[in-house]
Amino acid sequence: MNARDLLAGVPEVIHLGLDTVAEAAAATGSRVTTVPFLPPAGGEPARVAQLQRVSCGSLGVTIDAANQRAVDRFFASRPHLVGIALARDVIAGMADDLFLHAGPPISWERMCGPLRGAVMGGMLLEGLANTTEDAAALAAGGRVRFEPCHHHRAVGPMAGLITPSMPVFILEDVDGPGRGNRTFCTLNEGLGKVLRYGAYSDEVLIRLRMMRDELAPVLATALVAHGPIDLRLLMAQALQMGDEGHNRNRAATSLLLRELAPAIVRTAPDSEAAARVLEFIHRNDHFFLNLSMPMAKCMLLAAEGEDLSSMVTVMARNGTDFGIQISAMPGRWFVGPADMVRGLYFPGFSEADANPDIGDSAITETAGIGGFAMAAAPAIVQFVGGSAEDALATTRAMGRITIARNPTFAIPALSFAGAPTGIDVRLVEELSLLPTINTGIAHRSPGIGQVGAGLVNPPWACFHDALAAFTEHCLAHAPENVASEEA
Amino acid sequence: MTEEIFLERGCYYDSARLMAVARELRVVSGVVDAEVMMGTAMNRALLADTGFSNANLDAAGPMDLIVAVRAGSAQAIVAVRTKLATLLSGREAASSASSAGLRSGESGGPVTLLDALTAHPAAALVSIAVPGAYAAFVAHRALDAGRSVFLFSDNVPIADEVELKRRAVGAGLLVMGPDCGTAILAGVGLGFANRVPRGPVGIVGASGTGTQEVSCILAHAGVGISHAIGTGSRDLSHDVGGLMTEMGVNLLAADVMTEVVVVVAKHPHADVAARLHAVFAALGKPVSVRYLGEAGRGVIDGVTYTDSLDEAAAVAAAHVQGKARRPAEVTQAPVSRDAVIGSSPGSGQPSVTGRLIGLFGGGSLAAEAAHVLACHGLPTSTPQAVLRAGRPLPGDGHLIVDTGDDVYTVGRPHPMIDQIARCELIRAVGGDPDVGLVLLDLVLGDGSHPDPAPEIAEAVREAGRTRATPLAVVCSVCGTTADPQGLRRQEHVLHEAGIEVTATAAQAATLASRLLGAGAGRKA
Repeated sequence: MNARDLLAGVPEVIHLGLDTVAEAAAATGSRVTTVPFLPPAGGEPARVAQLQRVSCGSLGVTIDAANQRAVDRFFASRPHLVGIALARDVIAGMADDLFLHAGPPISWERMCGPLRGAVMGGMLLEGLANTTEDAAALAAGGRVRFEPCHHHRAVGPMAGLITPSMPVFILEDVDGPGRGNRTFCTLNEGLGKVLRYGAYSDEVLIRLRMMRDELAPVLATALVAHGPIDLRLLMAQALQMGDEGHNRNRAATSLLLRELAPAIVRTAPDSEAAARVLEFIHRNDHFFLNLSMPMAKCMLLAAEGEDLSSMVTVMARNGTDFGIQISAMPGRWFVGPADMVRGLYFPGFSEADANPDIGDSAITETAGIGGFAMAAAPAIVQFVGGSAEDALATTRAMGRITIARNPTFAIPALSFAGAPTGIDVRLVEELSLLPTINTGIAHRSPGIGQVGAGLVNPPWACFHDALAAFTEHCLAHAPENVASEEA
Repeated sequence: MTEEIFLERGCYYDSARLMAVARELRVVSGVVDAEVMMGTAMNRALLADTGFSNANLDAAGPMDLIVAVRAGSAQAIVAVRTKLATLLSGREAASSASSAGLRSGESGGPVTLLDALTAHPAAALVSIAVPGAYAAFVAHRALDAGRSVFLFSDNVPIADEVELKRRAVGAGLLVMGPDCGTAILAGVGLGFANRVPRGPVGIVGASGTGTQEVSCILAHAGVGISHAIGTGSRDLSHDVGGLMTEMGVNLLAADVMTEVVVVVAKHPHADVAARLHAVFAALGKPVSVRYLGEAGRGVIDGVTYTDSLDEAAAVAAAHVQGKARRPAEVTQAPVSRDAVIGSSPGSGQPSVTGRLIGLFGGGSLAAEAAHVLACHGLPTSTPQAVLRAGRPLPGDGHLIVDTGDDVYTVGRPHPMIDQIARCELIRAVGGDPDVGLVLLDLVLGDGSHPDPAPEIAEAVREAGRTRATPLAVVCSVCGTTADPQGLRRQEHVLHEAGIEVTATAAQAATLASRLLGAGAGRKA
């Protein structure tokens, strides 16, 4: 509306700041809406200036449009589970001396306890070492190279370790701009002493071998018989059954089991093998986490590379650092120190035992599920304060920092509004509101495992650095903006 | 003397709240000075300027609260800490931005500007009174959503002002400000505004109190206001180029209710004034201009350049009342009230000796008074150093002080809201035996102090008690009988304290010059 309309009738006013300034308007007949004011970008002048460049005016509109395109590509993605194979056979760039891990790049020297433990377990599993002492020495001595899962279109929960002989789910995008993209994730081991929490005892290794030698082949054969599974639709159903796709995967795991059970029974070598596989999945409520994660990765891959988009496409932690990436600059990490998880602990454990935040599983929040879909999962609201209202508030708050609502991932408790999707770095900074991530807590020492679960935020440094780099990128890559600045 | 600085990290309180908190802390027994501010670079510099030096200052960021205390004893500091905790716990602001988002979300109302813009598509105006460092961003956000802006905040970089106003002109939107004190749009007041009737005069004002003064003079004459569009104090600077003044008068030209336009501004840049002159001359409606601090220039190309706010209002009133007079004939505002209310017998006769000290709340009124005094042969100056109670007055001439100037309002609200600092100066200056006359203004209306006269009256009485010779005090009251403070009651309280009361700052200055026996007629 232009200024002439403003003078045409009694103006309605939105007010921010010093109350007395709006008293006159209220006293003279205007409808005044007062908005509490928080300084944008944490009040830091340099960032306020950056934000002003990229959020306001014509460049702001240009970036809004780029973000919409990025999130539309995300929505057009159709990740399907298409197969299971060994990592070395399907992950591009995988090599016998290469271990993949969660989060941004890290050296052995800077690795946290659980990640080191997982690496040591991997050395033993791959036959690269015979004792844990050897494993540690060889890993420290450069016997294997370390690269992030994300550099290979893979994701892994907690330590996220992928070694060459591990079986991985293969997901493929079958439609939209991301058609043909493949993403990968290991099969979930279950709870207790498990490699992803840095445990490497014999029971861990025995389970991993069983998974490689029986679980994976049986599932792979069943999957061939069944055909590809549309994980997006399965996730959509699970969100209406009390899952949020990160800390609660019970419904999705059940749905998957129901989907695959007949094919498993038909194609397994014998009924005992079929029963063992069905039992394994049945006993592990988090089995589907290792599918919700690569599903999220697959959809986010489709959103990568939109030149002027500030949409976050990766959030990942290695237990030492937290890293994010944005659509406009694929592959570039913005890193800060991983925070401690605020959570609930298993009996006998406390915050003193906890490792900083770890795992690629924050890819679920990046895709609008997990903590962002908290309102869908009333069973786990104790993590966000204990009441269903807290869960709704969390999802609503995440709606303020995201670009769109996912029409497929509808949340019943919010009248089937979509999950808030596509974190906009600019909005995080403008509102000083960090993404909320649901996550498990690993013991800080290798070999012990999970000690609790709770909530965590990314460190501000990731978003501050991303905003600075994105602003620079936009000013260099949006010629029409530069022209208008000079005009 | 003990000095201590402590921080509360990771929080945010608005400055208005912190000023109130600081005021409470300063009255804690044993406390000499207390400042409470967010740790922005500017605030840290301010604190360093006031003599606080501590490594803690450098460690503070914009989202850290700095509490700086000077006290006579360690116990006083402890008392400050206790009181601070109580003061801030009453309405605990968010300890972190993230939880604030969640908490406010539960109430269901808009918690961010973006939410409010979406929820209120018909809100054509966003009113912004946030710290200057953030104001431009918020204003851009309003323009992004196609809304006009009332920008009360000051300390906004001029480059931001230029960018905002260029955007606004392109989009056909108003950016009133930064540093815009007053606007009245279709009867709705913003910032500091008096309750004036609606009518045929449109005002475009770069000066808040100037706009208030004109609107009140007109109200006394029974003439109403269509709109008073604020532009911010720097609109007629070379950099800004009068963008909003031009847009404002054009809007009033197109507005059916507006018959005549009054423009009020301080010291326009010559090029800008020349450019605007062409706009005014071609407007198609009579334009009466008051450039504060400048002498009137009569009628040029149909545009009347007046010598005072009173005259600017008089010219406009005369136009709408169909009895256009040549401005040279206009010497007195057509106020319905007595020019001098309740003057004692013999007042108006030369009776006062000594220095004249003007202590103004309204910056434009200070400029107006200085101009009128100069015309009466009473040159005044603005003191170079900040006036402080307890320090001797600088020089030996007449002084005009704008106590609303930034240097007087560090860490304190504007004197139109909080008169403590101005009253302190009235007591100190009025007690000085070299001073013969104190010149004051009092601005009523929404946004201003709810009951200012008793505090002023008390300060004047106290000043009188400390001196052997009588003190003359003249005070103009800018207000209408519809204002919430009650114009007549405010005038009465001042009068009871022996203060000469006038309706306008120009009249007050004229009376003051007469009392001091200055030149019989105007020089101009």
